[in-house]
Amino acid sequence: MTASISASGDLPAVTVRRQTLSGTVAIIIGIALLVGLVAMPWWAGQGTIRSVVELCCYIAIAQMWNLLAGYGGLVSVGQQAFSGVAAYMMFALAQNLGLNPFLAVPLCLIAPAILAVPTYALLHRLDGPYFAIGTWVVAEVVRLLTTNFSYVNAGAGMSLRVMTQYSAHERAIGVTLLCALMLLVTVGGTYWLLRSRYGLALTAMRDNPVSAASQGVNVPRLRFLIFVAAAVGTGLAGAIYFMAQLRITPEAAYGPQWATVAIFIVMIGGIGSIEGVLIGALIYFFADRWFGEFGATYLVVLGVLTLLVALFARGGLWGLVNKVVDAPWFPTRRILVSGGGE
Amino acid sequence: MSAPLLSTHGLQAFYGDFQALFGIDFEVAAGEVVALIGANGAGKSTLLNAIMGAIRVAPDMVRLDGAPTGGAAPHVMVAKGVGIVPEGRRLFTGMSVEDNLRVAIDHSAGGNDAWTLERVYALFPILKDKRRDLVQSLSGGQQQMVAVARALLNQPRVLLCDEISLGLAPKVINEIYAAIPSISDAGTAIVLVEQDVGLAKKASDRLYCMLEGKVTLTGKSADVSREDISAAYFGAGHAVA
Repeated sequence: MTASISASGDLPAVTVRRQTLSGTVAIIIGIALLVGLVAMPWWAGQGTIRSVVELCCYIAIAQMWNLLAGYGGLVSVGQQAFSGVAAYMMFALAQNLGLNPFLAVPLCLIAPAILAVPTYALLHRLDGPYFAIGTWVVAEVVRLLTTNFSYVNAGAGMSLRVMTQYSAHERAIGVTLLCALMLLVTVGGTYWLLRSRYGLALTAMRDNPVSAASQGVNVPRLRFLIFVAAAVGTGLAGAIYFMAQLRITPEAAYGPQWATVAIFIVMIGGIGSIEGVLIGALIYFFADRWFGEFGATYLVVLGVLTLLVALFARGGLWGLVNKVVDAPWFPTRRILVSGGGE
Repeated sequence: MSAPLLSTHGLQAFYGDFQALFGIDFEVAAGEVVALIGANGAGKSTLLNAIMGAIRVAPDMVRLDGAPTGGAAPHVMVAKGVGIVPEGRRLFTGMSVEDNLRVAIDHSAGGNDAWTLERVYALFPILKDKRRDLVQSLSGGQQQMVAVARALLNQPRVLLCDEISLGLAPKVINEIYAAIPSISDAGTAIVLVEQDVGLAKKASDRLYCMLEGKVTLTGKSADVSREDISAAYFGAGHAVA
């Protein structure tokens, strides 16, 4: 995509180019993968579908955490509050109120959006680790409230029995379609946001929030919008994940493992980049499958790996790749091209 | 002097329990260049930060066009026409020169398009050649030019410059300071925080000297003697250099 910038006076005419060859290739591959995902019920087994849905949810949750921490500078360890509350809302709408479960997924997003507003109002004055701990406290409070809320079967959890009215094939079609939509909203939405007029402001805020504010960027408003958007995106992932699981409990929905998975994926892949999230999610997904049987040892290795990346490669694996080859999959940089065909 | 464009009235500022500014009265008129001098820790940068809204102060303590603006957030101050070149430049290091400038264009104060990309490139021609480069690949002086150009593209009526000569070679400092008259001639008021007293005196119409959070001297730059400045800079008890 290119856009001309009007230039007057003695400034040479320039064209802003944003798309790159690598970006075009990535979009084609991305579309092919999305089509393959939607077509999975016709070519893949139930186990494979379940694994891919899980991977998609990891990508979505990590992408939302990346938006929050990588661009907004808001390091949260309590995003499970939003995935959990959305999933519970979906279960309540479908199981208790009899709504179509696939329709309940978009409708349940009102819950994380509503929860995000007072949460941000409460926590936005906190900085760094205090904000992080605050988000964890909120997630724990929501978990405790759910554990004592009989309408959602309290601590015993709920099963999505209404799904039995659909065949396994129909369920797979619904869930894979929702997954494709989720990736479009979270990954595609982030990409669109970064390429929109807010993109520069977001990148400026990522680079230096104090300076961004002193150049006129409304940092508090942008952070609020990002917080709500990340809550909704995380909620969508939570709702789809637990729909595929067909069962939810407070421990599973609000467990801190959601935050640790998101942090691992983003740190390993590369904070502040969409590509990093995809790489990190794939690494976590396969590491979990191949080495999960080693239990605590495996978790220690993951922890050490995160520590090493944090100490020696802050840009993550994508940052290391970037040092070798400049071929972004999701190009957001404006490349100025001289009109004279330079 | 004509009616002040920006003024402070008995401005007090705190970092927690520590009081950094004690009743500062300060003003700058449209198109005027005012220097703020003083030793490290005198409160010069704190004064700029308090004006800019980075430090919370009472509304009546800062006035723009006579209207109280104290405590307004930095992005609000930018929208009202106050721009800042922050200490240490604080550029967006992941961006090109032109993207840095576009952030300011996207968030400029409305109703005034006096500063355009063409105009800031005319002011600092090297930036036109470097506009595609990442700012972190530029020299310190070129980065400072980006910081000044970026602040100008906010279309400020008052430009606050915090130590723009810090860490730069004399030749580069001269290049940057050569732009000051062009900026003030366009009607933009300039507040220069500067450690180099000679440079500040030469570039400004008036100056304020600060010591330990208070204004110890004010006057027309051409009229203030070196002895007056020394006494105000170091305190009355110190010998004149």
